[in-house]
Amino acid sequence: MNALRVAAVFRRIVAQFRRDPRSLALLYVAPLAIIALLGWVLSSSQSTTTRVAVVNESSNPAGAALALKIENALDGQAGVTLDRSVVDDSAARQKLEDKDLDLVVVLPPDFSAQNRTFDLLTLGLNPTGEAAAIPAVQKALLNAVAGTLGIALPTFERTTVYGSPNATQLDTLAPVVVGFFAYFFVFILTGISFLRERIGGTLERLLATPVSRAEIVLGYSLGFGFFATIQVAIVLAFVLGRLDIPALGPIPAFAIGLGVSTIGNPLIAYLLVLVLGLGAVSLGIFLSTFARTELQVLQFIPIVIVPQGLLGGFFWPIDQLPSLLQPVARILPVTYAIDGLRQVMIAGADLSSPQVLLDLAVLTGIAAVFVALAAATIRREVA
Amino acid sequence: MTAAPEPAVRPEPAVRPGAPAAAIEAVALRKDFGPIHAVDGIDMCLPPGRIYGLLGPNGSGKTTLIRLLTGLASATSGTARVLGVAMPSRANLARIGYMTQSDGIYPELSVWENLSFFAALYGQTDRAQLVAALEFVELETRAGTPAQDLSGGMRRRLSMACALAHHPSVIFLDEPTVGVDPALRVQFWDHFHRLAADGATLLVSSHVMDEADRCDELLFIRDGHVLAQGTPAELRTRAGTDNLETAFLTFAAMTAATPPADPAGPPGPAASDGPPGPVGTGAADPAGSAGAAAADPAGSAGAATSAVDPTAESGSEEIAR
Repeated sequence: MNALRVAAVFRRIVAQFRRDPRSLALLYVAPLAIIALLGWVLSSSQSTTTRVAVVNESSNPAGAALALKIENALDGQAGVTLDRSVVDDSAARQKLEDKDLDLVVVLPPDFSAQNRTFDLLTLGLNPTGEAAAIPAVQKALLNAVAGTLGIALPTFERTTVYGSPNATQLDTLAPVVVGFFAYFFVFILTGISFLRERIGGTLERLLATPVSRAEIVLGYSLGFGFFATIQVAIVLAFVLGRLDIPALGPIPAFAIGLGVSTIGNPLIAYLLVLVLGLGAVSLGIFLSTFARTELQVLQFIPIVIVPQGLLGGFFWPIDQLPSLLQPVARILPVTYAIDGLRQVMIAGADLSSPQVLLDLAVLTGIAAVFVALAAATIRREVA
Repeated sequence: MTAAPEPAVRPEPAVRPGAPAAAIEAVALRKDFGPIHAVDGIDMCLPPGRIYGLLGPNGSGKTTLIRLLTGLASATSGTARVLGVAMPSRANLARIGYMTQSDGIYPELSVWENLSFFAALYGQTDRAQLVAALEFVELETRAGTPAQDLSGGMRRRLSMACALAHHPSVIFLDEPTVGVDPALRVQFWDHFHRLAADGATLLVSSHVMDEADRCDELLFIRDGHVLAQGTPAELRTRAGTDNLETAFLTFAAMTAATPPADPAGPPGPAASDGPPGPVGTGAADPAGSAGAAAADPAGSAGAATSAVDPTAESGSEEIAR
């Protein structure tokens, strides 16, 4: 291992990227744009109100009384708008179809003091969103029913061990997004860079010098590690920081950064991302062997990147995956990076946590396998 | 001394007295790609300090032979030695310069960045040496220009500077003058001769016969065999012609006439030892005249560049079949 040669490869990677502003933009601007979009969607979609109507189809007088009580309970409920103009089931369905209502509480014809089954009627086009509206309505129903029985419902307050019970999806997604982006961009950029070495004849030339395979892989890792470091710093600053810009003339007030709160140590988060990125560099070099054009490198995205996004615990916890997919998830490097990042950024774990150490160890192992694969394919003859 | 780690190489080797007799050596060297024998049992022993021309049509095995000699390809069988060290040897590569057939430079990087990058990999960090290499290829005023903004000939020159900046003892040049303008070509060859005079050994591949006369010694190669080896004058005499193109075709026809498959024996020397039975090769004319024109240096320039590639190549390939 010759430090001069490693440094030469490193400097070359840096010089090449400095001259390629579009790739730099991909590396630094694209993640910010995507995270900003994600933050916007996730934080704003929480604050919609549910438009509710109550319909009494039963002839039972108790039903009519209860329907009125439910309406009164719903009227004061936060996040709920009550529509008192709907008279029967068919009018309710029409209003749902016209998107004038989100949810209808129906007291069916056979409703009685003994048979207290309500129907909750929704449109059925957006199961997740419709289900999310139900708890507020359910609470109003319980209050109304409890009122008729003359009892007071117990109240409860949520607390959590980590973070806050008011944490949004954004608060748990944003810190781990960092790892995924680093992996994605480092993989793509290395894969294409190395492919160009192969097809441009420079690899042939590199291999005719005394540089070793290990020196090439290390030089590449340092070069892309350098850019990944800057990327992680920028993305973390954007996710964790928040700069409020006051309204100025016609421009309304806005904020730069998501301001997600964390108790974690960003340096440990960076360490996790770095080891993940090291694996991505070598994976890019390795897979470039199987590509003949840049387009063919991009074809690895659905094979390599997308499954990691779906299975890596990004959106769904690993143990909620189908049992056949769980072992798959457990061999993906992103799985361990996301777990480690959550431990560090949300639970505030540090290097004394066995969970974080395990994640780091597995990531290091996976990176070592990829480094070995990359080094083995570099001498592959270009026939 | 083959696969040992780096320091195994003596610093100032080979070329000067007391060094191995051959700077470049091949023993029964063979490389198969599936059913194709790209290099078909080549033996050669090239003493240092001379310019060797490797001549043959496209697909004759020139590049594969160079890749075997530099250790970039692994031989199916046989041995390749450079400066007495069996290849592949990574440490030995520090004493070897290789200009590939493609430019092999980084388009985004400037001339200077390309040159200093490759030089650094060879351990050459002396700025003055890099400047001298740039001056030799007349790119000193373009040091800051990105390689992608250079003309084809300039890229070729940069590629050459990258192969020579570390002062290698053995230099492989794979079609170095393709795309280089005639005046600079003459300078290239003058420089090659200076390098050889200083003790370097050069193996220059070409499919252009007009460059052959500038070499000290020629190896005619076809179908992975060495057809003949000798100085240009010797080869002309042996073939009974004053035209190297015709000589090549004569040797090719002789090899074809002798018993077809003799993969065991070293075909090169065997073929050239035999009496030069003249074979009708009138078909060689268009390309042959270009080769003849090369004999007078002044006239060669223009004629050579225009005549080079398509004519010479198709001519020899057609006959070679």
